[in-house]
Amino acid sequence: MMTYIVFILSVIFVVSFVGFSSKPSPIYGGLVLIVSGGVGCGIIMNFGGSFLGLMVFLIYLGGMLVVFGYTTAMATEQYPEVWVSNTTVMGVFLLGLLMEVMLVLYVLKSEEVGVVFKFSGVGDWAIYDTGDSGVFSEEIMGVAALYSYGVWVVIVTGWSLLVGVLVILEVTRGD
Amino acid sequence: MNPLIFTTILMTVLLGTMIVMMSSHWLMIWIGFEMNLLAIIPILMKKYNPRTMEASTKYFLTQATASMLLMMAIIINLMHSGQWTITKIFNPTASIIMTSALAMKLGLTPFHFWVPEVTQGISLTSGLILLTWQKLAPMSILYQISPSINLNILLTMAVLSILVGGWGGLNQTQLRKIMAYSSIAHMGWMTAVLVYNPTLTMLNMLIYIMMTLTMFMLFIHSSSTTTLSLSHTWNKTPLTTTLILITLLSMGGLPPLSGFMPKWMIIQELTKNSSIILPTLMAIMALLNLYFYMRLTYSTSLTMFPSTNNMKMKWQFETKRITLLPPLIVMSSLLLPLTPMLSILD
Repeated sequence: MMTYIVFILSVIFVVSFVGFSSKPSPIYGGLVLIVSGGVGCGIIMNFGGSFLGLMVFLIYLGGMLVVFGYTTAMATEQYPEVWVSNTTVMGVFLLGLLMEVMLVLYVLKSEEVGVVFKFSGVGDWAIYDTGDSGVFSEEIMGVAALYSYGVWVVIVTGWSLLVGVLVILEVTRGD
Repeated sequence: MNPLIFTTILMTVLLGTMIVMMSSHWLMIWIGFEMNLLAIIPILMKKYNPRTMEASTKYFLTQATASMLLMMAIIINLMHSGQWTITKIFNPTASIIMTSALAMKLGLTPFHFWVPEVTQGISLTSGLILLTWQKLAPMSILYQISPSINLNILLTMAVLSILVGGWGGLNQTQLRKIMAYSSIAHMGWMTAVLVYNPTLTMLNMLIYIMMTLTMFMLFIHSSSTTTLSLSHTWNKTPLTTTLILITLLSMGGLPPLSGFMPKWMIIQELTKNSSIILPTLMAIMALLNLYFYMRLTYSTSLTMFPSTNNMKMKWQFETKRITLLPPLIVMSSLLLPLTPMLSILD
């Protein structure tokens, strides 16, 4: 099972994405978002990115999702929608699950999966080595490169986030 | 809106488009598109009523979908070429997806449905920014990937856009919807020649932006958003009736005016590439456009449109000062003799 751990985690990832994109109430969306965040962190860690996985847990789940949870708790309604309460939501959820199950069976059975691009069944998901990049781990070097070669990206992303806050305040402020 | 915040958000719209036009990394281009989209939403929602909110939501949903498709095409391109620079698209699937994404951003048929609705729901100034500045970024990407665009898809979308832009504008009396359909048709003309000679696309974009700026500023000057209220211009500022006439005929592509230059060059370029039926069809469908511009000029400048008696004695507060209107009017009507200068673009 451990050879296919990334595959299993990715299936759980997709299922939880289906769970929140079938649009139950935001509280339940946040719940599956936590699950998908944790599982995504697991996927990243399996590829050797322990720092980035920690970032996901700390900043994404522990910062942004907590704030999201608190604001949703303030704005929630008396009877929030679950996946089984509304026929539409349940229908979309089951449809997404069905698509995922069919895709998983296709990947498990056939040697090669060629949807838009080919990848060789489950073999691509198993990690046999974490990459021989010498002394330093790849992902820490990536983070370092972000702040040295990629300064422009940091500036643009930071500015986008600042303007995002301004835009949201402006949109919700009203008259 | 607080002037400082408004300036910041407007500058971010400009910055987003600049990032799209100047970047060589696909991810930065995507970031530029998102920054552009994010920052233009409060500009579309400047007046706070349900119509603008609905229009902004529609704009956001369609453009976000287009950005998702763009990201998908970028990733497929990455998987097949292993690099992030914009030279050409290395995979036909990625090329088709990217063309569809950029067509959604521009408002080409069959993705044109948002343009009239969004343009109608927002104020005139926001509509101006939407129809001119927002077209620059997707068009620059189309220009850069033009060697690898699938010709059949792009030409189909272009011809259908010209048809839809002409036909759809026929039943409109609201000026913003007329400008929206005119924008769809002009985008069709621009993308039709993209594969053959991308310089003409840029020429058409330039002249289209000038003419649309002029038209919108004339509308803002008389604060008119319907044909009926435009037809009272003879009472407010009689000079602008002539200016509206000239600019509208220029948009329709009539010969001595500058709007003829891009159409002439495009038809010439298409016939040089041995397609005769296509430019003939395009020219015929541009007549539909000309018809509803003529109808506007008929009710505005050529006749005194029937109105009630109290409309004939209008008074208004002080005249709006529209920056750069005279140079724009001159440029959007008198540029045709400069056509030989296009040879410097080679």
